[in-house]
Amino acid sequence: MVLSVPAAAVTLLVVWIYPSYALYFHIGETEKKCFIEEIPDETMVIGKYRTQLWDKQTGSFLPSTPGLGMHVEIKDPDTKIILSRQYGSDGRFTFTSHTPGEHQICLHSNSTKMALFAGGKLRVHLEIQVGEHTNNYPEIAAKDKLTELQLRVRQLLDQVEQIQKEQNYQRYREERFRMTSESTNQRVLWWSIAQTFILIVTGIWQMRHLKSFFEAKKLV
Amino acid sequence: MEALRVRMSCRGALLGLAVAFLCSAGSVQSFGQSQDSEFTFLLPAGRSECFYQTAIKNGTMEVEYQVIAGAGMDVDFTILSPNGVRLILESRRSDGVHVVEPMEEGDYEICFDNSFSRFSEKMVFFEIIIEGQGGDVGGDDEFPGLEESDGSLLEYKLDDIRESMDSLHKRLERSRQMQTVLRAFEARDRNLLEDNLWRVSFWSCASMLVMLCVAFTQVSTSVGTFTPFLSTQCKAEKVFALFFMFHPLSLLL
Repeated sequence: MVLSVPAAAVTLLVVWIYPSYALYFHIGETEKKCFIEEIPDETMVIGKYRTQLWDKQTGSFLPSTPGLGMHVEIKDPDTKIILSRQYGSDGRFTFTSHTPGEHQICLHSNSTKMALFAGGKLRVHLEIQVGEHTNNYPEIAAKDKLTELQLRVRQLLDQVEQIQKEQNYQRYREERFRMTSESTNQRVLWWSIAQTFILIVTGIWQMRHLKSFFEAKKLV
Repeated sequence: MEALRVRMSCRGALLGLAVAFLCSAGSVQSFGQSQDSEFTFLLPAGRSECFYQTAIKNGTMEVEYQVIAGAGMDVDFTILSPNGVRLILESRRSDGVHVVEPMEEGDYEICFDNSFSRFSEKMVFFEIIIEGQGGDVGGDDEFPGLEESDGSLLEYKLDDIRESMDSLHKRLERSRQMQTVLRAFEARDRNLLEDNLWRVSFWSCASMLVMLCVAFTQVSTSVGTFTPFLSTQCKAEKVFALFFMFHPLSLLL
């Protein structure tokens, strides 16, 4: 009776403090994993990760590895670094995009001691939330004192706003696509004309050179 | 005895308080987190990348992937069940959609393999949509612990409104997922087009240079090779020399 209460508390602790993230993958020691997020401008992105290390003795993944951190580097569409920071074994990074396009999020572990990776791999649970998924609705409800229905309406409004932003971004991308396509067509046209012109000029030059050569050799 | 009981009850109360606090903190954390994930990642040449997804018993998992950049635009795709059974194996496909149902307990392994390619790095987009047994995850309990408006007289109408808003929310999520897929298609086409532009420029330039080189080489080689032969007095030899100068195959001799 005395022991079961702390045990229950510990179980609850484990369950609540370590929520299960959706997806995980394995990363080697010097390996760098990069993810691309193509987002419109003024969009907030939150990334959350949790690491586990393989323990040879127990033959399983340990819940947390203090001292082992991950280095997170985020580049914007112009390949300029907007975030380059080291986080602990559990981390949360966030950024807001100012230009629309492909942002690159790269993760690699900062471990220098080979001993920590003796088992081989590090398991990283990763979750990236974009746009209105970053909003913390219970917090918003508490701050603005909203009821459930009002909160739901707020959520729907945010969703629709994000869809609208995506559609605007799509329009901008389609315009760029059209410009690239027209540029390709123009280049094909001009290069063909230039090649034909050079072909004719070379032909004429060849004939004239050889003609003058024959005249010099008194053959014609 | 009395003191021990008081101490235990104090400790119990504190523990209860801590548990309650953690419960509320945990409920905030577990609120409305959609289990759907989508990632676009770079797959280096000759490598294989695997992602693991924790499954809900008897749920449905839909996996959609697309290769959006890289020469060849194809990748090997595999899904392994938690027991190691290979459910799906696709070789060198550029896109695909798969539904796994019903799901077993454990972690499913989703692998993308680029070992067949030696030089080209691929960019792969994939999306995993998880649905629980009776519809989407995080259905009715999405906002726990919130006070509900006192609509005891309007209870029936409010429920209606709540239901349609729930269904609207799910449909908007689906719209977002569709938008993501369309965006991946567009990104793939855009990458292909930009590659084409570069290729057109490069090969046009190269072919023009080759043309000029060949013209110059032809003239100088033929003139240079056969000049000595043209200084003979014999007319037959002169004819032969002229013939060989202008016959293109003579250059190969």
